[in-house]
Amino acid sequence: MQLTHLNTHGEANMVDVGDKHETRREAVASGRIVMHPETLQLLSDGALPKGDVLATARIAGIQAAKRTHELIPLCHALALSKVSVDFDVDHANGWVNVSALCRLNGRTGVEMEALTAVSVACLTLYDMCKAVDKEMRIEAVQLDSKRGGVRGDYQRAPTAAPIVTGEGATGEVRLGERSVSPCVRVKFLAELRERVGQSDVTIPLDKLPSRDVAGLKAALAERDTRFSVLSDQRALCAINQVMANDTSRITDEDEVAFFPPVTGG
Amino acid sequence: MADAVLDIAVEVQAAPFSMDYGYEATLQQRTDIGAIVSFTGLVRDFNETPDVTGLTLEHYPGMTERTLAAIGEQAWERWSLQAVRIIHRVGHLSPGDPIVRVLVASAHRRDAFNACDFIMDYLKTQAPFWKKEHSREGAYWVKERDSDQQDADRWSSSEP
Repeated sequence: MQLTHLNTHGEANMVDVGDKHETRREAVASGRIVMHPETLQLLSDGALPKGDVLATARIAGIQAAKRTHELIPLCHALALSKVSVDFDVDHANGWVNVSALCRLNGRTGVEMEALTAVSVACLTLYDMCKAVDKEMRIEAVQLDSKRGGVRGDYQRAPTAAPIVTGEGATGEVRLGERSVSPCVRVKFLAELRERVGQSDVTIPLDKLPSRDVAGLKAALAERDTRFSVLSDQRALCAINQVMANDTSRITDEDEVAFFPPVTGG
Repeated sequence: MADAVLDIAVEVQAAPFSMDYGYEATLQQRTDIGAIVSFTGLVRDFNETPDVTGLTLEHYPGMTERTLAAIGEQAWERWSLQAVRIIHRVGHLSPGDPIVRVLVASAHRRDAFNACDFIMDYLKTQAPFWKKEHSREGAYWVKERDSDQQDADRWSSSEP
């Protein structure tokens, strides 16, 4: 792995993207600002001295995304086709979640723009609320997903959320166990869960004959013949909650889910 | 920005919702909206068997919300829209319960009609929900329908 912003002498340099193909690029970033419950209440009531906090922070985030190249030395100036900034006021946790999506058709990724939008939206929230709360904390600013470009898509592994199962009202939370050696966490949903007789299994990566979904199916079938149902054409698969197929690559700590065709609505 | 600010909200919840849920949150104090088209899907008491007593909806938390938001965004890019709301229930439901609700607001009706139709077709074929129906003869998983896939395919064969 090499840092693309360093040249052969280890000096900072801007990457020449002239020969790259234009593709549709998209990035989603998020972060949050933690504050006192009373501050959060004032914010959602619109009772803070500086007025409509979220609308101001949204515009600040959008403006910041467009000016990222002025702030980050080696970033290219990009003609973004879309920027959106969204807020989720979470009274239970006492914070405001901020997420930003940036998109363009171009030759470079837009994750710096999305991260800048989140950062500046958080800073603006701080500025708008600091008269009543000096202990606010900005945290967990991170890239959530990225699409397009030669390095392929990126999706941050989801934080553990409960699966609603057929048993019990809405409960039955079971999460794949953590392991020290590289492994893949596999989930089975709905009818497939019932047919294989379990909801979660963790497989060491080195048990896979090939590091893709086909390799995972082979490793599972080796473990128990019930898993042969996964080779049925009706069995669908997602890696880190993005639809995948037999040739999709699997890496350490990936969450792979198998499920039947969907029947919602 | 020249474009309308993206206004898409997705809710996946176990709690029941009413048939008029979402109107006020969509309208707020706006006066630029010319049309709201909404769709409400209900649990029928007959489906694969004649006497369905209820159903349990399973989903894949995280992927569900992301898929619904992505469907909303596709509709947003395809038509000129002002707001999109997608609400879906999970867990146990009884016949007559609203199970899904889609609201689309736009300046002119055709965009809202088409986008609402599109969102439901894609929701039924892409969003990770699974229905298990309970009847007097026992419980069984509902099978996907070819007609749902054909409905969804309509949108890729021709431009709106």
